[in-house]
Amino acid sequence: MSLGRQQLLIGVILVALGIVLPACVPEYFIYLLNLLMMYLILAIGLDIVMGWSGQFAFAHIAFYGIGIYGTALLHMRLGVPFILGMPLAALLAALIGYLIAVPATKLRTVYLALSTFAFAQCAAWVFRTWESLTKGPDGLRMTPTNLFGFEVVNDRQAMPVIAVILALVIAATLNLLHSKLGRDFFAVRDNENVALASGVDVKATKVWALTISAFYAGVAGGVYTLFQSYINPDNIDVTLLVLILSMVVVGGSGSLGGVSIGVVVLGVLPELLRAAPKSLLIWQEFVYGLILLLAIIYSPKGIWGLFTRRREKT
Amino acid sequence: MNVKMKILQGLLVTFAGLSSLLSSAQTPGVTDKEIVIGLFAPLSGPLVSYGIDPLNAAKMIYEDVNNKGGINGRKIRLVIEDDKCTGNDLLGVAKKLITVDNVFILHGGSCTAAIAAAQEYIQREKVPFVMLNAAGDNAVFPPTRYMFGSFQGTQRVYGSALSEFAIKSLKAKRIAIIVHDDDYGKANLAAAKAVISRLGGEVVAEEKIPPNISDITAPVLNLRASKPDAILSGAYPAPAVLLAQKYGEFGMTNIPLLQSTQGMPTPSVYAKNVGNPDALKNLYHTWSFTDIAKEDVKERMLAMYKKSNPDREPGPFMVTGVPSALAVVDTLQRMGKDLTREKFVDAMEKLNLNSDLMTGPLQFSATRRDALRTVEVVKFDGKSQKVMPDYYSWNGKDGN
Amino acid sequence: MGLFNLILQGIISGVVTGCVYALVALSLVIVYKATDVVNFAGGELVMIGAYIGLLLLMWLDWPYVVIFLITPVFTYALGVLFSRFALEKINRKKTTSSTVLVSFVIATIALSDMLKGIVRVIPFTEEVRRLPPLFSGPPLFLGDLVIQPQDIVIVVVASLVMLMLWVLFGYTMVGKALRATSQNERAASLIGIPVKSVKSAIWGLSAMVASIAGLLLAPKLLMTPDMGNMVMLAFAAAIIGGFSSLPGCVVGGILLGIVQNMVGIFISPQAIAVTPFFVIMLVLLIRPQGFFDKTLAYKKV
Repeated sequence: MSLGRQQLLIGVILVALGIVLPACVPEYFIYLLNLLMMYLILAIGLDIVMGWSGQFAFAHIAFYGIGIYGTALLHMRLGVPFILGMPLAALLAALIGYLIAVPATKLRTVYLALSTFAFAQCAAWVFRTWESLTKGPDGLRMTPTNLFGFEVVNDRQAMPVIAVILALVIAATLNLLHSKLGRDFFAVRDNENVALASGVDVKATKVWALTISAFYAGVAGGVYTLFQSYINPDNIDVTLLVLILSMVVVGGSGSLGGVSIGVVVLGVLPELLRAAPKSLLIWQEFVYGLILLLAIIYSPKGIWGLFTRRREKT
Repeated sequence: MNVKMKILQGLLVTFAGLSSLLSSAQTPGVTDKEIVIGLFAPLSGPLVSYGIDPLNAAKMIYEDVNNKGGINGRKIRLVIEDDKCTGNDLLGVAKKLITVDNVFILHGGSCTAAIAAAQEYIQREKVPFVMLNAAGDNAVFPPTRYMFGSFQGTQRVYGSALSEFAIKSLKAKRIAIIVHDDDYGKANLAAAKAVISRLGGEVVAEEKIPPNISDITAPVLNLRASKPDAILSGAYPAPAVLLAQKYGEFGMTNIPLLQSTQGMPTPSVYAKNVGNPDALKNLYHTWSFTDIAKEDVKERMLAMYKKSNPDREPGPFMVTGVPSALAVVDTLQRMGKDLTREKFVDAMEKLNLNSDLMTGPLQFSATRRDALRTVEVVKFDGKSQKVMPDYYSWNGKDGN
Repeated sequence: MGLFNLILQGIISGVVTGCVYALVALSLVIVYKATDVVNFAGGELVMIGAYIGLLLLMWLDWPYVVIFLITPVFTYALGVLFSRFALEKINRKKTTSSTVLVSFVIATIALSDMLKGIVRVIPFTEEVRRLPPLFSGPPLFLGDLVIQPQDIVIVVVASLVMLMLWVLFGYTMVGKALRATSQNERAASLIGIPVKSVKSAIWGLSAMVASIAGLLLAPKLLMTPDMGNMVMLAFAAAIIGGFSSLPGCVVGGILLGIVQNMVGIFISPQAIAVTPFFVIMLVLLIRPQGFFDKTLAYKKV
C-alpha cells in the first residue's frame, strides 16, 4: 500500500474510533485511551531522537512541560485559542530543543545523556520556582480548551480531537520515515563515520533529530491540556520519562508499530494489575524495572522485533 | 501496520460492548442492600507511609459499622484503589471508581496536590469527594461544593496553632519559620505570619527548602543568625530530622522547635533518627487526636485495627484515617433511607460531629469545607509525649 | 555568627559532604572508563549499601565495624552479577556501538528501579531511617565552628578509600590489568587478560565504593529508598573532573560540596537543588573535557 493510502487509512480509523467510542464506552476507558494516545505521541518523539538517530536525550520531558504550560498559559493569559496555541507551544519547545541541540550534539554519549538530564531537571526547577507564571507547586488549574467556540470539557469531547491530532502526527511520522532526513537519522545511528563519508551532514542531522523530537513532545503537552485540567510540576519528572522509555524499548524502537505496541502493553499493564491483590501492589516498581531490564537484554528490538525477525526468516 | 490497527479496533469494540452492559443505575452506588464507596490512598510509592495505615483505619470503621448492622438497612461495600499520591494516578482512580465501579461517593487521598488534580473532574461529574487524611489546603480553599476535607486540620491550622502557642505559652517574640517551597509550605507560612503579626510578634527568618534537601547546613545557619525565640517548622519527615540534628549540632537547643504534624508521623522513629536527646529537649508538635492524652481511646483504636487487619502492626499515624470515615458514617446515618449524591452533600454540610477521638468538632457549612480547626500541641522529649494545656484554633481567616 | 564564620562553617560542611560525592563520583568514573557505561544506578548502589548495613545491624546485631566490612562484600557481588548477567549479555548482541551504549544506560536505569523497588517492598522502609554514627560523641568546637565526630570519620574513611584505589590502580598487578582493560580492551584481551572477568571485577569494585559512600552518608543524611537521587551531585563532580580523572573526581566532589553550601547561604536554599544541574550544563558548555583532563601527570585508569 502506498504511503498516502496508509496515512489515509490510519487517519480514518483513528477518527472513526475517536467519534464512535466516546458514545458507548465508560468514560474511564476513554480517559485511558486519551492518555495512551498522548503517550504514543511522546513515545514516537523519544524514539526519533533515541531509536532512529541513536542519541540519548533525556530532555524530552522538559519539552513536554513547555508544551503543557505553553499551551495552557497562552490560552489563559493571552486568550490564544488552542488551534494556534498548541502549535506555538510546540514550536517554542522545538526552538529550545534546537538551542540545546547545537552545543549538546557535540558531546559524547555520556555527556549528552547527562547534560540533557541536567537540562530537564533545570526546566522542572524553573516550572516550580517561576510562580508568577506557572503558579509553581500549587499547580495550574487550566481552563477548558476552546475549539472554534466549542468548549472541550471532558474526556468524551476530547477524544475525537486527540484522535485527529494523533492521525496527523502519525502521517507526518510516516513521511519522515520515508524521507531523506529519516534515512539520514538511521544512517547516523548505525555508523557515524560511514554516514559522514557518504555525505550526510551528521551534525545537522543530529540537531534536526533533537529539534523534531522536541516538537513532538510539545505537541503531546498540548494534547495534555485537552483532557486534563490541572498540571503540577511534580507530574513532569523522570518517572514519566522512564515510563515512555520503557514503552519504546519493550515495544520496539525504530518503528511506529513497535512503539505503538509498547505504549499499549505498558499502558494497559497497570490496569490489569488492578485485579491483583492489593498487597502485591508494592512490588510494581521492582517488576517494571525487571521487565525493562529483561527487555533490553533479551529483546532489544522489542516485541515488534520478535515479529519482524520471524518475517525475515520466512 | 494495518493489521495491528484492525486488531486494536476489534478489541476496543468488544470492550465497548461489554462495558456498556455494566453501566446503568439510578443513584449510582446505592441499592436496597448496599452502599458502594470508593476508598483510595497511596498504597505504593514513596508516600506509602501516609496511606496504608490510615486507609486500613477507615476500612476498620466501615467494617465495624457493617458488623453492627449497617446504616439504615444497608451495608457498606468498599472498592479499594492505589492512588500513588500522584495527580495522574488519583485522577485515573477517580474516573475508574466513578464510571466503571459506579461508586456512590469517593473517599480517599493523602496528598493535597494529587487531590487538586481531580478537583475539576468531580465538580463536573457532581460526585462527592471526602478526603481521607490530606491536609487539603489547596483543595478546600476556596471551598467548592463537592470536595470535603482536612479532617485532621489544614496547614493553616498547624501554622497558626504553633504560632499562637509560641507567643502565648512560650512568650516568644522573634519567630523563625522554615517550610518547604510547595503548597503545604506556602499555606503554613501564610497562616503563621498572619497570626504572628496579629499577636504582636515578629517573623525574623523565613527559610524555604526543597522537600528533598540533603544538606540543611545553610538554612539552619540562617535561622541561627536571626536569633529567634522559637522556630516553626513545616518540614516533611526526612528534612525534619535533619533540621533537629543540625539545630542540635549548632547548639541551638535552647530555642523551642515547633514541628507541624507531617514531619513526625511516627514520633518514636523520629526520635531514633535524630539520635541526639539534647536536640529533643525543647521539641513540640501538633496533633489532632486525643489518643496521646487518653489511653483508653488509643487502646480502643488499636483493638479495632487489629480486628480488621490482623497481619499488620500500625504506626501512630493510623488514626488519621478515622475521622473522615466517622464523618461519612455519621452523614449517611443522618440521611435515612433516601440516598442521592446531592442529598449527601447537603447532609455533609450540616456535619457537626464531636468525637472523643478528636481535639475539636468536625464541622462543615455552606461556605466551609475544612473539617477540623482545632488542634493540640504536644511536647515530645524523645521518650514520652506530654499534651500541653489548651487547644489552639484557627480563626478561619489568617493566611487566606 | 559573623559572615566569615558562616562561610567557614559552610566550607567545612561542604568538604565533608564533598568527600562522599567524590567517592560516588569515583565509583561512576571507574566503571565508565572500563566499560563505557554511564551508571544511572550509581545512587541506588549507595542506597542499597546503606540499607544492607541497616538491616544487618537490626537483624543480626553485629558490631558496627563488622557491618562496615561485610556490606561492601554484598555489593561487590551485586556489581559482578549485574555486569555478568546483564551488561555482558547486551554486549554480546553486537549491534551498533551507539545502540549498545544506549542499551547499557537503559539497563542501569532498569537496575535503579529494581533496587528501589525491592527496598520498598520491606515495610520497614516506609519510614525514614538512619544509620547510627560510627562514633557518637560530643562535637568538636573551634570557636564558633562545629565539627561532628562523624564528619571526621567520613573524611578519614573516604581518604583511605581514595588512597587504596590509588595504590590499587597504580601499583598492583591487578590494577595494571584493570588499567589495561580500560585503555584498550582489544589489546588487553590479546595479551591474555580475562577481559570479561576484569570488567565484572571493576563493576564489583565500583559497587563496593558506592556502598561505602552509603554507609558513610546514611548516619549524616537520612535513608529513604529515594536517597539515590544524590547521584546527580556525583555526576556533576565527575564532570568537573572530565569523567576520566580520579583526582578530578575528588576535587570536583569537594568543590561541589562547598559550592552547594555557598549557594544556600548567599542565594537561597531553593537554589541548592538546581546547583548540580547548573554546574553540569555550565561545565559541559565551556569546557566539556573537564578541568583535569591531561593536565595532571597522575597515572589514569
